[in-house]
Amino acid sequence: MTKTFVVAEMALREIARRRGVLAILLIFPLAFYLSRRDSHAGQSIRFVCLGIGWAMSTAALFAGSAARAVEPRLRLSGYRGSHLYLGRLAALWTVGLLLSAPYYVLIRIDQEHVRYGAIGLIMLLTVAVAAPFGLALSAALPRELEGMLVLLIVVGLQMMMDPADSASRLLPFWFSREIGTYAVDHTDGGYLTRGLIHAAVCLAALLAVVAAASGYRLRQRSHLRFVARR
Amino acid sequence: MRHDTWLDALAGELRRHGVAADTAGNVLAETAAHLWESGDDPLRAFGPPQAYAATVADSVRLAPPRRAPGGPVRLEVLGISKRYGRRTVLREVNLTVRAGEVAAVVGANGSGKSTFLGICAGLVSPDRGEVRVHGALGYCPQGGGTSDFLVPDEHFLLVGAGRGMSRTEARDGGRAGAAALDWDPRGRTQARHLSGGTRQKLNLVMAGLGDPDVLLLDEPYQGFDQGSYLDFWQQVHRWRDAGKAIVVVTHLLNTRDGVDTVLDLTPREALR
Repeated sequence: MTKTFVVAEMALREIARRRGVLAILLIFPLAFYLSRRDSHAGQSIRFVCLGIGWAMSTAALFAGSAARAVEPRLRLSGYRGSHLYLGRLAALWTVGLLLSAPYYVLIRIDQEHVRYGAIGLIMLLTVAVAAPFGLALSAALPRELEGMLVLLIVVGLQMMMDPADSASRLLPFWFSREIGTYAVDHTDGGYLTRGLIHAAVCLAALLAVVAAASGYRLRQRSHLRFVARR
Repeated sequence: MRHDTWLDALAGELRRHGVAADTAGNVLAETAAHLWESGDDPLRAFGPPQAYAATVADSVRLAPPRRAPGGPVRLEVLGISKRYGRRTVLREVNLTVRAGEVAAVVGANGSGKSTFLGICAGLVSPDRGEVRVHGALGYCPQGGGTSDFLVPDEHFLLVGAGRGMSRTEARDGGRAGAAALDWDPRGRTQARHLSGGTRQKLNLVMAGLGDPDVLLLDEPYQGFDQGSYLDFWQQVHRWRDAGKAIVVVTHLLNTRDGVDTVLDLTPREALR
């Protein structure tokens, strides 16, 4: 636990020192929100959640890429792969919650006749899914540019695809549209249930990918044997 | 500074320091190859030619051979082979390092020195062979290995926590290790703002933190000035005297002062 906590603390310190990135992360979802605020309030809520997801995935992608150089030596220093990715996830989730909080307050002030609890839930789930999504991308695509392009494609598809299309359920943030509909259009609980199930499945799958990738990359190779000191 | 100008000046300085012609030739060839491969500015990589020549001259004045310490075996490398595509980099390499011994891994650029150390550290898989480490391992990579946005003390805490050290132990241990390299790591300078040599000192201190039994050091003196270079070897000797088993990868064929074993990875066909 101490090791995971120290990794989380150091990851938070690293993120906190990237002030320019933090500022962009904070403003980025606002652009999404304002882009649809005048024409369709409900869409602006869905868009701001997507913006948070994109921003957090990007932050996780870069955090994961930056960690690649130091993680092998940390593994040799006594950390397990799980200490490293859980610590990093904890830091990213913390940043995500702090990033989402002002947008939740904004919606509380700026929007009426919506289910605020459900909107809070979307933000929570978006942050939960976005962090492992970015880390999974950084594990699969070591070069940041490639990871960014994939993120761009995913978020672009998320905006363009019809949520009723079954293929769109393969996208990691599909649940935000579904729960968003429940929150904004006051639909029945089926939307909420489907959204929750989708988020849970995505979260579990992405965590499994992150754990497997970390386990593989930082595995103890079979040729190396540690023998107790004589 | 241009490579040719710097190398000419180095050749002159090596002559001035009385370094034998064949030794000087080896040093110049290795240094030129390193500069050519890395594209580094020679002043950044090695410092002024005068200082570097003095360091080389000091290092080739071999100390009297030490008696074999005969401590328990700490590192056993057995029949390691590694190919990259069709090129065999390492063929049946063996090495045994005991407690209180320093082994130098030498060889031309591209001879597989870093690959060998990566295999010893378990970061690279060999095609054949086995490595046995008796105790804990400390590893100093040639580059990287630090977090750009963390300050040195935070690096010590991070590595120290992995080794089961308290915050105070880790910070004090790191600062003591840094002091041995004539470096004060206190302050809020993030790793990305440290000079190349100072970042390597940080790397080296991290490797030694937590009292590992085996230290694997991959050309850790890149960017060191003359004084730091000598401090580095003194630190290696202190580790050796404390019973550590140390493996140092070096591109300087004659940097063998206080070294008990030399493993030359230069391919045999290249020596003919």
